[in-house]
Amino acid sequence: MLEIADLGVRFGGLQALDGVSVGVREGEIVGIVGPNGAGKTTLFNAISGMVRPQRGVVRFGGRDLSRLREYERARLGIGRTFQIPQPMHELTVAQNVTVAQRFGAGRIDAAHAEEVLRATGLLAKRDADAARELSLSELKALEVAKALAMRPKLLLLDEVLAGLETTAKRTFARMLAEIHQRLSLALVVIEHDIEAISALCPRVVVLDFGKVIADGTPAEVFNHPAVIASYMGARAHA
Amino acid sequence: MRPDRRLVVAATCVALYVAVPVLCASNLYLMSMIVAALTIGGIALAWALLGNLGGLVSFGHAAFFGVGSYASALLVMKAGWPIAAALPAAGMVAVLSAVLVLPALRLRGAYFALAVLAYAHIFRIVTTEWTSLTNGAKGLSNIPRFPLIAGFDFASKTGAYLIVLTLVLAFALIYARIRSSHYGLALRAMHESEAATRAVGVNSTLLKAMMLFVSAFMTGVMGAFNAHYINFLEPDYAFSGLWTMLPIVAAIFGGYRTITGPIVGAVVVYLADQLVFKEVMPVGHQIILGALLGLMILRAPDGLLPLLTFRRRTGTILRHA
Amino acid sequence: MTELTLQALWSGVLLGSSYALIALGLAVVFGTMHVINLAHGELVVLAAYVAYTCESQLGLNPLLAIPAAVIVVCAAAALTYLCVDRIAKDRELNSLLLTYGIAVMLTNGVLMLFKADIRSTKSTWLTDAVVMGPLFSMRSEIVFFIVALALMALLWWWLTRTWSGRALRAVASNRDAARLMGIEPRRIELASFVVAGLLAAFAGVAIYSFGVVSPSLGTTLTVKAFVITVLAGMGSIPGVLVGALLLGIVETMTTTFGSSALQELAGMVLFLVVLFVMPNGLFGRART
Repeated sequence: MLEIADLGVRFGGLQALDGVSVGVREGEIVGIVGPNGAGKTTLFNAISGMVRPQRGVVRFGGRDLSRLREYERARLGIGRTFQIPQPMHELTVAQNVTVAQRFGAGRIDAAHAEEVLRATGLLAKRDADAARELSLSELKALEVAKALAMRPKLLLLDEVLAGLETTAKRTFARMLAEIHQRLSLALVVIEHDIEAISALCPRVVVLDFGKVIADGTPAEVFNHPAVIASYMGARAHA
Repeated sequence: MRPDRRLVVAATCVALYVAVPVLCASNLYLMSMIVAALTIGGIALAWALLGNLGGLVSFGHAAFFGVGSYASALLVMKAGWPIAAALPAAGMVAVLSAVLVLPALRLRGAYFALAVLAYAHIFRIVTTEWTSLTNGAKGLSNIPRFPLIAGFDFASKTGAYLIVLTLVLAFALIYARIRSSHYGLALRAMHESEAATRAVGVNSTLLKAMMLFVSAFMTGVMGAFNAHYINFLEPDYAFSGLWTMLPIVAAIFGGYRTITGPIVGAVVVYLADQLVFKEVMPVGHQIILGALLGLMILRAPDGLLPLLTFRRRTGTILRHA
Repeated sequence: MTELTLQALWSGVLLGSSYALIALGLAVVFGTMHVINLAHGELVVLAAYVAYTCESQLGLNPLLAIPAAVIVVCAAAALTYLCVDRIAKDRELNSLLLTYGIAVMLTNGVLMLFKADIRSTKSTWLTDAVVMGPLFSMRSEIVFFIVALALMALLWWWLTRTWSGRALRAVASNRDAARLMGIEPRRIELASFVVAGLLAAFAGVAIYSFGVVSPSLGTTLTVKAFVITVLAGMGSIPGVLVGALLLGIVETMTTTFGSSALQELAGMVLFLVVLFVMPNGLFGRART
């Protein structure tokens, strides 16, 4: 469903992505790991349209996305969360969901909105000021809720567990697994927490210096010599 | 709207449509000032709409006003259109001129504000030079007045008052409708979280452009109204900086985050300017306006009127437009 | 034909040098504070009228009026800064409104004091023609061209070689980091306004000496300075120079080959072209 071919992104002197090729099938869960600066968020930015690659192509459902802007890609069914939560300011939680529904999915569906809020545990906070009255885990839940409200076929989750403490992490991971099961959408998950990723994702892709250095099951990938080498320094932080 | 709110609105409408003419019609001077004040109010409303919903501050609304004035006058005088058709058409011409401003949207806020000012200059010069069309600096005189309908002379001060009042109220209604719609939600969120809105499918650039068009339309129609009311146009008048200045001071004074604020502000500021400032400083009365603007920005950026009437905001979400 | 072109080019460069001073002032303030001073053009006009007053009341050559102009304009600039500094929130947009109000006050103040008539210098020494080969210019144009070059060199030296100039660049690029290094941003911001005022003062006397002034010139100049910064692209000082020269040349070319009425329009059209075709300006960095 999602095809990335030889993607290259450069920022000034820095080659953030260097010939990345990866594919995601419908309903798959894929984890993306790699040390800081490996290009993970840049990959998401290239898929969602916030960054224009210098070479390579991103295809979604067979369609070349090169000419499409972020909002067009969102409407096609690519949802994403941001590493630092970006709630829509001056709106309540419920209104955040409404806007995402109206502009991302194309129509308002109150029942669906309820479901999204319930699935992400935000039902009680529906009238809270999204930018000012939510805790970190609620903000991250809102990121997911906004994306879900768009009825996406693909959900890009950028370090959605980072910064949460262990119990919150587990609840969140469970929530993601449930959402995946119920809605059978494809998830691509960037995380640093190797345990969480291994538990959640049957397939993991490892990036380093903008290149894919491994792609397989968690067991395969985390025993791969290249991966271990690249993580030698970063292991301590995992 | 809640029932008691509806009552207030209805009562206000009755007062505006019936009481004011009945009470003031005999005082032509007062009526003409009210008409002028409401014209300013209409522009102030359009300006505030662009600022609040579109998040864009403009220093060149005189551009749209002038374009609307000339468009309507020329459509009626040279193409023989009826005034009722020319007014909205003039608004559309103003929208077309706003299309030219679109590239300026990608400039940062302050830059956009000045870009519109540059456009005002451009339109004024073009209007002055294109003598074959606009009669240049000599201006257009004897622009057709509003017609007689069912025995009522709309060219009279009272008639003009009713027309401009209806226009302003219609615009206020449009503003309110947009604000309470889903577009209004998206627009509000776009101020500080545009990336987040784009990530969920909002074409933020298009929405901003739409707000620019709505604002230009309203201002153009006000210009058109003014042309048929004053019956005379010349470039320096139609594109005068006062059509930018007064609405801005009015909107800030009355509270530009509300819908009624700019209108009420216009009435107060215009009357104060005509009755007080001009008496004190006939040539430099704008200095007082400028000082007023400066002081308001420093002490009461959300408007003096809200401050003075102790209007309370209900809840945090409803704080902004 | 080529002689005419050459002449127009030369006059354009001379004119552009003064435009550069005006635009640089605007750019320095914007770079430091992200504030556009809408009253900047009025500062230039203020200087011009100081020169006019000195000439008409005291019989002084405008060149001798420069110190007075500098004092008056820098004081006005400092006062403007003090007002801008007191803005509580949304400084970028509220400063526009505030300086707009100040601009209106200044324009009308000048209008009240001096009436709407067009003024220019009566000094024959300044308006005398100077012939250099095939090229004609007014002595004032040459004098102020040299002055402008000197000022720009001074500005470049200040920004790159002195501590305070470097501090200004630091504040422009990262305010908080600059503060952490012991730089007091507000002093630098005040300095930027005063520097802008200094440049504006010279430009004002220049325009009085080789051109004409009237109270409404202020807005026109602010718009032109703004057009130059768009031409240059955000954040580019050399671009401002090129943009200013370009505007000057476009204007003189239009006057020579077209009509003087279209002069202002030509600059605006240039602005539109750049806006449509090269939104990052000639030298600007693309926004990410």
